[in-house]
Amino acid sequence: MKKKKRSSIRKNELKFAALMALPGLVALIVLVAGPLAYMVYNSAFSKSLAAPIPPRPVGFKNYIDLLKSDRFWNAFKNTMVIMGIGIPVQSFLGLLMAMLLSREFKGKRLIVALFLIPVMITPVVSGFQWKIIFHERFGPLNYILGFLGFNPNIPWLAKPSLALASILIMDTWQWTPFVALVLLAGLSSIPRQVYEAANVDGASSWQIFWRVTMPLLRPIFTLVVLLRIIFIFKIFDPVYILTGGGPGISTETLSVYTYYSGFKHFNVGRTAALAVLQLVIITIIAQLYMRFVMRRREEVQRS
Amino acid sequence: MKRFLVLSIVLLMAISVLSVKVVVFGDQGHNLVPLEWIKDEAAKKGIEIEIVGVPFTAVYEKLKTEFVGGTGAYDLVIFYPIYLGEFADFGYLRPLDDYIKELDPHLEDVIPAYRELYLKYGGHVYALPYDGDILNLYYRRDLFENEEEKANFKKKYGYDLKPPETWKELRDVAEFFTRKKGEKLAGKILDHDFYGYAFYGARGFCYAWWNNRFASYGGVYFDRDMNPMINSEAGVKALEDMIDIMKFCPPDVLSYGYEELKDAFLLDRVAMVIQWPCVWKKGQDPKQSKIVGKIGVAHVPGVKKPDGTIYYRAAAPVGRVLGIPTTAKHPKEAYWIAWMLSYKLSTECVSTSKTGLDPYRYSHVNHPEAFSEFAPAEEAKRYLDAVMQNLEHAFPDLNIPGAGEYLDALDLYITSALAGKMSPKEALDKAAERWNEITDMLDRERQKKIYNNMIESWKKLGFWAGD
Repeated sequence: MKKKKRSSIRKNELKFAALMALPGLVALIVLVAGPLAYMVYNSAFSKSLAAPIPPRPVGFKNYIDLLKSDRFWNAFKNTMVIMGIGIPVQSFLGLLMAMLLSREFKGKRLIVALFLIPVMITPVVSGFQWKIIFHERFGPLNYILGFLGFNPNIPWLAKPSLALASILIMDTWQWTPFVALVLLAGLSSIPRQVYEAANVDGASSWQIFWRVTMPLLRPIFTLVVLLRIIFIFKIFDPVYILTGGGPGISTETLSVYTYYSGFKHFNVGRTAALAVLQLVIITIIAQLYMRFVMRRREEVQRS
Repeated sequence: MKRFLVLSIVLLMAISVLSVKVVVFGDQGHNLVPLEWIKDEAAKKGIEIEIVGVPFTAVYEKLKTEFVGGTGAYDLVIFYPIYLGEFADFGYLRPLDDYIKELDPHLEDVIPAYRELYLKYGGHVYALPYDGDILNLYYRRDLFENEEEKANFKKKYGYDLKPPETWKELRDVAEFFTRKKGEKLAGKILDHDFYGYAFYGARGFCYAWWNNRFASYGGVYFDRDMNPMINSEAGVKALEDMIDIMKFCPPDVLSYGYEELKDAFLLDRVAMVIQWPCVWKKGQDPKQSKIVGKIGVAHVPGVKKPDGTIYYRAAAPVGRVLGIPTTAKHPKEAYWIAWMLSYKLSTECVSTSKTGLDPYRYSHVNHPEAFSEFAPAEEAKRYLDAVMQNLEHAFPDLNIPGAGEYLDALDLYITSALAGKMSPKEALDKAAERWNEITDMLDRERQKKIYNNMIESWKKLGFWAGD
């Protein structure tokens, strides 16, 4: 009898739990799983909205065409270059800033507040600001360089190699403070006693940094790097505003290419395939990164 | 007092119920200003105008999304004629033939290139003109008329300094006027580097600057069987020429869009540019221009034929037209607005500094006095004559379905070659390959039929240079 009652309570609990989860589940299906399935479905069709012709099933042709196309690999390469340089630079600078800000000094609050400005400015607005800064003739950057005796006619946005560097500069300016602030939060959560104990044991500042700060900061560091990987992979505004992907396609990233394919060409089939490929790529990158982090953690714990 | 208030509220409610709200869509900024001018007159007819502006480069995507959704949000749309074929083909736009019979916009006054290619599709009129765009050659008249410069030029090149009529002459003049800071230009020591020429080098409309050359070398977009002709000898030569002339352009020319190119010329940095008609108007405004009264306008350069004549073709990118969506809730009222803008007020629209709209009617180019806000009638006439010369030799944009994607692919590979990422031949071969893919995707036979219809219109206007 008791058992029966217990199981009925359990059933009721389950029912209640299911009922509570239902809205979330429905939202997930309608807003995420549904569109995702529709995107995968579309990727198997030759479907364009540029002419009134019915979609034709083409199997994996859209994927094969993309994987064979120079433009896709160029966009992939550019995204990886921005990521490959941007993440270490922003992480390093962010950590450096966080370490500096973790000390107590006069006006610290003001500086932290100022640090927030780049993060809070809409990327489109900062894109236009940087477009002015990078202007070859009238931009303040070249003016300052000229004033300091360097070449004042650097075509920041017109030369392919410099254009990509300019995008990186803008992205670093915008997102390093974000990395710094998250790491600062991580640093302030490390108990003071740990440092005191290390000091008592006679550890040098360098040893404290490597043996105490970094291991304790690792979870938050992992998170912020993962977030930056995902954000940079989707980089759009700085590229679109500063160069539009040009000169030629020299700064075109995967998201900018997707935008052109979807909203300039309305090539639905190919754009869907492009989006699916990006989802696969970012999932692989995130998984590899997480595995690397977990392995490092295990190694550290073992040692 | 209370009674008066109640009466006012009732009156306002009655007006809002009785008046018809017409939503007008267009690229935001000065080209929507004329809608403000007609608001009062529209109100008298019971029409309330609501304006929806979007960025210049977002017109297509916003309109297309709206048309695919079919929500009927807009009654009148201002768009670029490059998309006319696609929009009409899909049935997104209403044919205007019946409206035209009722309220005549006098299309016979519209310059034929616009009338036949930018307003009509499949034998029907789908749009009224609003902005005429054609590329013109602008040059620094003060430099070209300077005696010392003239003498030096003749000594170096063996012929008189004059607005270049051929691409070869353009190169010579561009080379001649390219000077370093500290050198002399027209008797004055330069305090900045000065360049001979600049063009639209950024992605977007760079293809149109290539079109000027390509078309004058006898190029056409496709042959009659829809085989791309852009990678022909004419195409490769045009692109090689563009790369060659970059030596005499500002180093950041590949980032030049409309604004940058306009500023390079108006702020005294280059001797020549090829640009849209509104640059002359802006060049007369001391707030925007350092070269007021020093601007010369001519037809774009071309190629000298064996009989001594010059064959030139001026690209006609952008332009604006007014169309009424099939889903419009108030088409009749929308047409009245289009008629006002395209006919009744058209001269006012194209002859003021308050807009960026350019001439497209004979009545515009034949009335230089209407442009007195900018310059004396004599100078305005020189400008309008040059615009007319270019219009008569126009090389219109492709406007078959998929035109946006075709031209974007072309633009992309042209700018890639300019950036040194690939050779001109390789770039144009790739563009042609992409064009074939687009044609196949959009149904080759269908596209061929539409393109051949376009050729017939081109032939009627004497624009077709293919077989």
